[in-house]
Amino acid sequence: MDELELLKKDWQSKNQDYPKLSYNEIYKMILKKSSSIVKWIFIISLLEFAFWAVISFAFKDSKFLEDAKELNMNSVLIPLSIISYGILIYFFYLFYKNYRNIISTDSTKRLMENILKTRRTVKYYVVFNLGSLVIATFIGLFYVLNNDENVITQLEQASANGEVFKVYAIFIITTILFLAVVVGVLLLFYWLVYGILLKRLNKNYRELKKLEI
Amino acid sequence: MNKELEHSFVELLEKHQNIVHKVCRLYTNNYDAHNDLFQEITIQLWKAYPKFRGDAKFSTWMYRVGLNTAITLYRKSKRIINTQGFDAVQFKIKAEDYDDTEEQQLKLLYKAVHQLNDIEKALVFLYLEDKNYKEISETMGITEVNARVKMNRVKTKLRTILNP
Repeated sequence: MDELELLKKDWQSKNQDYPKLSYNEIYKMILKKSSSIVKWIFIISLLEFAFWAVISFAFKDSKFLEDAKELNMNSVLIPLSIISYGILIYFFYLFYKNYRNIISTDSTKRLMENILKTRRTVKYYVVFNLGSLVIATFIGLFYVLNNDENVITQLEQASANGEVFKVYAIFIITTILFLAVVVGVLLLFYWLVYGILLKRLNKNYRELKKLEI
Repeated sequence: MNKELEHSFVELLEKHQNIVHKVCRLYTNNYDAHNDLFQEITIQLWKAYPKFRGDAKFSTWMYRVGLNTAITLYRKSKRIINTQGFDAVQFKIKAEDYDDTEEQQLKLLYKAVHQLNDIEKALVFLYLEDKNYKEISETMGITEVNARVKMNRVKTKLRTILNP
């Protein structure tokens, strides 16, 4: 006899062996809070949106704006910040739309895909922010090198000593190192958080997709 | 949420609770984990309940939510492989008339099923619940052919576990 057939016969004959929860016990359960991964993804994603929003607000404090004004950067900064808020709203809309699509009555595969899709939206937003950070830092560096009076004086002195290349190199290498550390720490953080949270989901999704060609 | 909805939900779940217990039995190995998963499945069912308009049988719908929660949504206690877990307890009841080779074989079979991965367990579960391949494929979101192939692989895998 087929092993599974034997198991099936036994499985179906054991219907009486399960615990029997009362009406009140079940009622108490529906009042409790879920601890599903979707809830965690939702919370972490909201924190990410908040994190980047706070960062961009922090940059808008008066000191930074004054510096930027001195460097004639306003013509670049104002359109950029309008664009970045637009993008934030767009990503948040996408995120919320995908989040609403996570329905536990869907098929297993579809449910997994919708969770991964929601997660991917936030990932793209993070990539977008890291990219903007890199680009903005280089634009800032460009303005500093061309418009900051202290830096220009320093460059002129260096030029007189024949060391202008060295000064440029110091500025650029410092900037790159700074970016590498910031981006590296953030990526490590994401990798850890989502790696732990989605490990089983990714594994099961791969398993489910295995035979599909 | 209104009281009427709560009442009808709890009544339905009370009546069909075995489906959830069976999912928990397959995916957990001890009493606490069983209760914990039962709790999470109940919450997920309750969250989805307002959308349930009787267009599908409540029990059919429970299979999906139950498996989806066990495979995808649930995360709390780490599910350790504990061969002295639920199955051993279950079989202790029959210890008196335990000299049957079929009983022995069943015990090994349950142990083997516990060693399968999450997706394989889901396939076995639906099979044990007498679901046809069409229902299995719809629940899992894979094609019927794919479900059959996977099920055959599960059978082979079980045989390998049983006769290494």
